[in-house]
Amino acid sequence: MHILVVEDDPVIADHIVSGLSFLGHGATLARTGSEAVDALTYRTPDAVVLDRMLPDIDGMSVMRHIRSDHGTIPVLMLSALGSVKHRIEGLQIGADDYLAKPFDVDELAARLHAIVRRGAARPEGAGLEVGMLRLDPSSHRAVYREGSAVLNRKQYSLLAHLMRNADRLVTRSMLLECVWSYSFSPTTNIIESNMSRLRTTLQEIACDPIETQRGAGYVLRSQRCA
Amino acid sequence: MGYFGAGRRRLGRLAIRSGIAFALAMIAVGVIGFGIADHWVSSRIDTSLQYHTSKYLSDVDRSPNENADVEAKILEWQHRKVLSERTYLLFDRTGRRLAGRLDIDPPPTGLSYVRFTGGGRHFEVGRAIATRLANGSLFVVVQHSEAAATLHALLPVVVLVISLVSLLMGVSATLLFAHLTAKRLAETQEAAAAIAAGDLGRRIPTDRLDGMFAVQAETLNQMLDRMEDLVRSQQLFSSNLAHDLRTPLTRLRSLLTQASREEQPAVAPLLERANRECAFIISIFDALLRLAEIETGQHPSAMRSLPLRTLVEDVAETMEPVIVDHGGSLTVDRLDDVAISGDPDLINQLLINLLENVATHTPAGTSATLSVERDEGMVVITVGDDGPGLAKADFARVIQPFERGRAAPLGNGSGLGLAIASAIARFHRGSLDLEDAGPGLRVRVTLAAIDTAGDAKSQSSTALVLA
Repeated sequence: MHILVVEDDPVIADHIVSGLSFLGHGATLARTGSEAVDALTYRTPDAVVLDRMLPDIDGMSVMRHIRSDHGTIPVLMLSALGSVKHRIEGLQIGADDYLAKPFDVDELAARLHAIVRRGAARPEGAGLEVGMLRLDPSSHRAVYREGSAVLNRKQYSLLAHLMRNADRLVTRSMLLECVWSYSFSPTTNIIESNMSRLRTTLQEIACDPIETQRGAGYVLRSQRCA
Repeated sequence: MGYFGAGRRRLGRLAIRSGIAFALAMIAVGVIGFGIADHWVSSRIDTSLQYHTSKYLSDVDRSPNENADVEAKILEWQHRKVLSERTYLLFDRTGRRLAGRLDIDPPPTGLSYVRFTGGGRHFEVGRAIATRLANGSLFVVVQHSEAAATLHALLPVVVLVISLVSLLMGVSATLLFAHLTAKRLAETQEAAAAIAAGDLGRRIPTDRLDGMFAVQAETLNQMLDRMEDLVRSQQLFSSNLAHDLRTPLTRLRSLLTQASREEQPAVAPLLERANRECAFIISIFDALLRLAEIETGQHPSAMRSLPLRTLVEDVAETMEPVIVDHGGSLTVDRLDDVAISGDPDLINQLLINLLENVATHTPAGTSATLSVERDEGMVVITVGDDGPGLAKADFARVIQPFERGRAAPLGNGSGLGLAIASAIARFHRGSLDLEDAGPGLRVRVTLAAIDTAGDAKSQSSTALVLA
């Protein structure tokens, strides 16, 4: 992916650019709003990481410019303003995702992947299949080859989300937002405990496709569902 | 000084204004009083005139020498009363005066006013009653209305005197009142100035005050007590925050110092631990921002009719593995079909925080219970545990930010969980109370219930054991 990073703080900008490069993505850096507008004219990126507070044209105005002149480029808005109110403001003017500072580069990259491939993602609610693993919405069961196991509502939604994003990193905060719809961070291992129950249940039907990425999140490997 | 000078000028103007108002009121009272007195005197004069006419004419009426009899009576009266306020006159049918010592023309019959010269040059006015006798003569009695004349002459003087006295009384009463008020307010003013200068412990002395001044001073003192409490809790909040940050920051610095001294392979795990400390510090700030957002009403509220059954089942399913990993179990005791007007995200956080408290602040193996009951117009959500509980003296304290149970180790959670839960209850106009569950702690959240279509089922309840 080629990402346009719009960030005025040199340390944070360097952290994002080198982090994305480390993960195999190309990145162009714009330090101001006007540089960002120029860069967009020069080359259309796969996605934009946009800081909300910039020294000249503020991020919200750049966002409006992107939506009026460049259509549907996926944009992830980055900001020190992290309350629910600020997040809603960012999403309302057209950002595809909103990440509060401080953040993790793995988290940023995972969210960029999610918004870039959002169009390709499978629709929610449809019967899901990854390899031989299948979810049956009517009986709330996970079916793998001949075996099947009943999942509770949380385990079902968790597995469905991982299957929709198969082979991609899904972070804890993404799971909290998408599966639980929580806008706050719990202090206990809610994700780990629920994930461990899900994995135990899947192992009972001889299917173990979920991989923990230390410190980052989880990946459901499609090859393990074959 | 300038303030007090301006105050005195204002008081002076007030005194003059109220003095004038007093005087005007007294003039009005004087004029009305005079009118009433005048009317009373006039009617007394008329009655007296009628009385004396009938007395004079009672025995002469219809006699052949009517005129002669009346003349004789008049002459006899003149001899007897040299000075009198009444004069009797008799005119013949042509209007010629037959008897009586008053130089007037014959007035019309009945009551009327007559003008005459009273000895000197000036005219006097008298009240007259004229009666036509059977032979055509006119008998007249004139009352020299001295009383009424005196009354009229006195009026301007009386009114002037009354006005001056009223003005004087009004001004003095206002000045006296103002002086008494100012004296009582001076101490209040002094205390307010001291408080404005930063002495928050200062109170208005109430021992020398009475009536409404005492009541007002007491109310102000109560307000000051409350303000002082708020300021103190703000100061405590700041120092607790600083204290709570000091521990993870110290650990972070130690880890970084240690990493800088280590050989390459040992550095990575130390940096990972340092990263975890950073995450903990960030979580404290996230929780603080969240608390401020809820307490100041900045949270973009998605208030709606919220049936609690699904939400609570969802939270129970989410938290059950966490409590089981802590060695206990989570039981949903009772789950009435009730609804509240609420923000689902906040109510989720309220329940999660209370159950996370069980998982983080109790010894391993502690079990939790969760119930939702309808109690008349209210919904009572209860989260209980069978852990060691808290001393009753600590109940109010642990709801405050950064306050923990005595047994809870520092660094276990942000120390804001209960404060946020309590703020969420207040955000929904409800309350959060701690109770001794003997053994363990019980947290009761009371919120207002709303009626929904499915309310008929509200009496039914279910027991669901999850682990």
